[in-house]
Amino acid sequence: MDPIATALKVAASGLHAQSERLRIVSENLANAQSTGNTPGADPYQRKTIAFAAEVDRLTGGDFVRIADIARDDAPFRVEFDPGHEAADEDGYVKLPNVNALVEMADMSEANRAYEANLQVIKQARDLISMTIDLMRNQ
Amino acid sequence: MEPVQLFNLASQQARWLSTRQAVIAGNVANANTAGFRPMDVESFATVLSKTSPSMVATDTMHLGGDAFGSAVGIAERESEVPVRPSGNSVKLEDELVKAGEIRRGFELNTAIVKAFHRMILMAAKTS
Amino acid sequence: MNPLSIIGGLAKSDALSSIAEALSGNAAGAAPVAGTSFVDALGDVAGKVVDTLKRSESLSIQALGGADVNARDVADAVMSAEQSLQAAIAIRDKIVSAYLEVSRMAI
Repeated sequence: MDPIATALKVAASGLHAQSERLRIVSENLANAQSTGNTPGADPYQRKTIAFAAEVDRLTGGDFVRIADIARDDAPFRVEFDPGHEAADEDGYVKLPNVNALVEMADMSEANRAYEANLQVIKQARDLISMTIDLMRNQ
Repeated sequence: MEPVQLFNLASQQARWLSTRQAVIAGNVANANTAGFRPMDVESFATVLSKTSPSMVATDTMHLGGDAFGSAVGIAERESEVPVRPSGNSVKLEDELVKAGEIRRGFELNTAIVKAFHRMILMAAKTS
Repeated sequence: MNPLSIIGGLAKSDALSSIAEALSGNAAGAAPVAGTSFVDALGDVAGKVVDTLKRSESLSIQALGGADVNARDVADAVMSAEQSLQAAIAIRDKIVSAYLEVSRMAI
């Protein structure tokens, strides 16, 4: 297969991977304060995403795929709030183990990586154009 | 003077550039993959010295799928950047610089080919 | 000046060199006439075409091979080759049409 066409497909897999990453980050941010509903219940648990490289036999390209979407088992934050519906018998409420600053940093990294993949796609398209242009009459 | 040598060299360089583009795309796509190290192709000069006139049996697993494609060696690049805890050492800026080199090479390549093609057509045309 | 060798040059399959050869062939084989400066001019044009073509090809091959050639130098050499080639073609065409006109004259 034409290596430039392979490059396009590989970059597209990168775009997909980074979009998924952005989705996970948004979920974490949106649920940064989501507690449980019943006394002593667990709150929202932070999600993590892991990628893996996948070499395609047919094209020889290094694609990326989503290996795993898992839960972060870092301990939950605890706050004293006896009036809360999720407060346990001692009055403590468990809050999500999401750190907004960490998520924001991850989001801007994901954006950067997304942009880089987009650049690769644009360039691959341009290279194909240049090649076809050789045949065009002036 | 039929510039056959020039056109052949241009074709080979175009294929080398395309292979490199695919490798760079793989590096960028795997910028966050645990344990992934960036790859790069051998220099064009090295590939030229290796490619013999006789065509060897093609291995379809290789990028490019033809004798020349399999001659282009792809290897892990030595990383001057400290490897991250995840085992990944892809540096996006480096990859984009390499992509820029590819683009420049490609533009020069197609411009040269176009110009010589034009000259040949010009000379063959009778008014 | 022997126009017949131009026709012979055109008949060759190698288009680019046929012009250079034909012109330099003419310039070399022409009998000394009162207007030798014209023959010299033809020889100059032919020489220029060969030189600029060779230089542009050499620089291009260097650039393609990955040598550290200035892109502008390559562009200049190629443009220069195209210009002298275009001039040589114009001269060739004029010579051919002049010959045809002469051959049509009633004796």
